[in-house]
Amino acid sequence: MDVNTESWQHKDLLGIAQLSPWDIARIFETAVSMKEILNRPIKKLPTLRGKSVAMLFYEASTRTRVSFETAVKTLGADVGSFSVSTSSVNKGESLLDTAKTLDAMKFDLIVIRHTSSGASEFLAQNLRAGVINAGDGQHEHPTQALLDAFTLCEKFGVLGTKHLQEPAYPDRLLTGRKIVIVGDILHSRVARSNALCLQRLGAQVTFVGPPTLLPPEMACWNVGISHDLDAGLDGADAVMALRLQLERQKSGLFPSVREYAELYGLTLDRLRRSGREPLLLHPGPMNRGVEVDSELADSLYSVIEEQVTNGLAVRMALIYLMSAPL
Amino acid sequence: MWLIKKAHVVDPAQGIDGICDVLFDEFILAVGQDLNGEDFLDSSHRLSVIEADGKYLFPGLIDVHAHLREPGREDKEDITSGAKAAVRGGFTTVLAMANTQPVIDNRGLVEYVMSRGEQAQGARVLPVAAVTMDLKGDALVNMAELHKAGAVAFSDDGRGVQRAQTMLLALQYAQLTGCPLISHCEDESLAKGGCMRRGFRSARLGLTGIPAAAESVMAARDILLAQENGGKLHLAHLSTAAAVAALRWGKQQGIDVTGEVNPHHLIFSDDDIGLTQTCLKVNPPLPSAEDRGVLLTALVDGTIDMLATDHAPHTWEEKARPFPEAPFGINGFETALAAVWMSLVEPGKLSVSQLVRAWSLNPARRFGLAGGSLHVDKPADIVLFDPKHTETIGQDVWLSKSTNTPYWDKEMHGFPTAVWVGGSLRDAALRDAAVRDAAIQDAAIQDAAIQQTGRERPSC
Ligand SMILES: [Zn+2]
Repeated sequence: MDVNTESWQHKDLLGIAQLSPWDIARIFETAVSMKEILNRPIKKLPTLRGKSVAMLFYEASTRTRVSFETAVKTLGADVGSFSVSTSSVNKGESLLDTAKTLDAMKFDLIVIRHTSSGASEFLAQNLRAGVINAGDGQHEHPTQALLDAFTLCEKFGVLGTKHLQEPAYPDRLLTGRKIVIVGDILHSRVARSNALCLQRLGAQVTFVGPPTLLPPEMACWNVGISHDLDAGLDGADAVMALRLQLERQKSGLFPSVREYAELYGLTLDRLRRSGREPLLLHPGPMNRGVEVDSELADSLYSVIEEQVTNGLAVRMALIYLMSAPL
Repeated sequence: MWLIKKAHVVDPAQGIDGICDVLFDEFILAVGQDLNGEDFLDSSHRLSVIEADGKYLFPGLIDVHAHLREPGREDKEDITSGAKAAVRGGFTTVLAMANTQPVIDNRGLVEYVMSRGEQAQGARVLPVAAVTMDLKGDALVNMAELHKAGAVAFSDDGRGVQRAQTMLLALQYAQLTGCPLISHCEDESLAKGGCMRRGFRSARLGLTGIPAAAESVMAARDILLAQENGGKLHLAHLSTAAAVAALRWGKQQGIDVTGEVNPHHLIFSDDDIGLTQTCLKVNPPLPSAEDRGVLLTALVDGTIDMLATDHAPHTWEEKARPFPEAPFGINGFETALAAVWMSLVEPGKLSVSQLVRAWSLNPARRFGLAGGSLHVDKPADIVLFDPKHTETIGQDVWLSKSTNTPYWDKEMHGFPTAVWVGGSLRDAALRDAAVRDAAIQDAAIQDAAIQQTGRERPSC
């Protein structure tokens, strides 16, 4: 395997906020190698034999958990899984006590998903093991943002050695690219991590959503802000639809799913009209007919399936970097 | 009897702000230049003379907003530990909020708080009774009876009274007692689910924001209700520019309204919050830096009448949680004065006289309390304050049962070195070596006198 063997500096991965463009390029470079392995007939690597990674999921998420577990197993490490329904996390045990228990079990890495913003940072402060944030409240979802940016770079043809290593300007990988993120921005950790990640790589980011889900304080991200999807899409190279949590309608954040879909639902027609044939991304699981029209989801614009494969490669890369014996 | 010589005495009630002497026993006997204690001495007293160059002396601070957690949550604090922590911080009187478990909404509990306070030998503890039974925002408590039992104010603090009609009636009915109604201004429909001030910082951190309007609309509403039917209104822990504007307007209209601000809202802002700093999670949430400036201006110009700690102890375990899950509250008694001293007085933003007015005189006047000045014949509630006394905040100097302060492990200076409540020196606050020596000597002489009397008794 052809990977950079310089040691990785971060004990934890809590958010994109802690990563430099060079860190991101390093993850991508490793992920390219991982993806090659995934395309081989025999996908197992002995690299991390003897290491163990715990999955601590306080929020149901089959996709992310399976992706992490597969990444761990493919690298030859062992998985310990603690989900809400099967362990003491549901019996009122505090996160701190759970953390201490996991440390005592000598896990090397802990992957956590939690409903509270900051839960992963809290865990990291109290653990010897490395912590990977698999989504904390509305704060960050760094591996999602990394796989999204990786997918874009791959599609835009900037993942070659000359892009990632030689001139080494990772902060310009996506320069000149306009990326639109549409949906419930306020409550989205995916939008936050993506805004950070894409901007670090030089892209221009625009948030689109209704004023209730994209309030003025989101201007803190220094992104473009639009409440009009068609205006926002104009000249976009890619558009990312966020999953709409249908419960939000009950709290009055938008009047009806029908009106939401009409104003902010992505359709084939809308993308065609926007000028540059943008790529369609979605973190999944998708509400077909709400944030993305079915016809569009299955069209050539969509890179949703590549996102899933790349998610595996990026997570393998991270786990490798964070636990490789050097 | 104590004679404190050459302290910098600050007593805004009498316009005193300079070096002089103070003589007191249970009451203030004299304040002036070159006092001679012997002139006042009778056979029943001994005179202890303390040279206090470089120290300040002011009337004991009065904290109109504190949570002592007893009954119900004695793991966080109880009346004894709270009263001792308060006096250590320079407070000679504290008002204990009613949101205990059970709620202070009946005569028995008002009396309980008073008697536990008397036993504590710390600060004087005065009960605030609830406005509505069990803080439900519905049926009023028996205000006249609870006032007669000792309640000095009414408040559902911890929650706002959500229905305007209930608040209107409470303001009207409380006029029977002459006591202020303390409003915790928070519209729950706006604040619900939030854990810090809504703004750029909350958006960054992905923490649900509490809009400033959650406080402001309630402050404006209560001022208009007080205008409607009269009543004494006091706005607790102001934290928004618009609520301050409403207060200023209310005063201009002649409405009987006052307001308080907490030190943490003057010192920190939402920008200081990090995802694991639950010691800064407080309700109302830390303001924007802009609003913080407005609060300070309002305190200095007198629109905001007083400082109050909103001492809110919580256990370490409760605060050792992810930010959204930790309880609101900052432990204030033992650090508030030093914090205000270091952050506001030393940089020249607040004068010592303004501090004493806002933390002693104005609270006494508004709530009809005995202290607040060094007038002759007032109870001797006195703080001797050393602006240079330095302590590292930690377990060995700490009296509160909880440690949820942003100052833990930090070095601070500006502490009371001796505090008297009704002329009685409080051990909990005693840091001054000269005062300690005098007190030990005094006790020894008294013991000897008692022993002597004891020996003489059989011959009678
Ligand atoms: Zn309150």
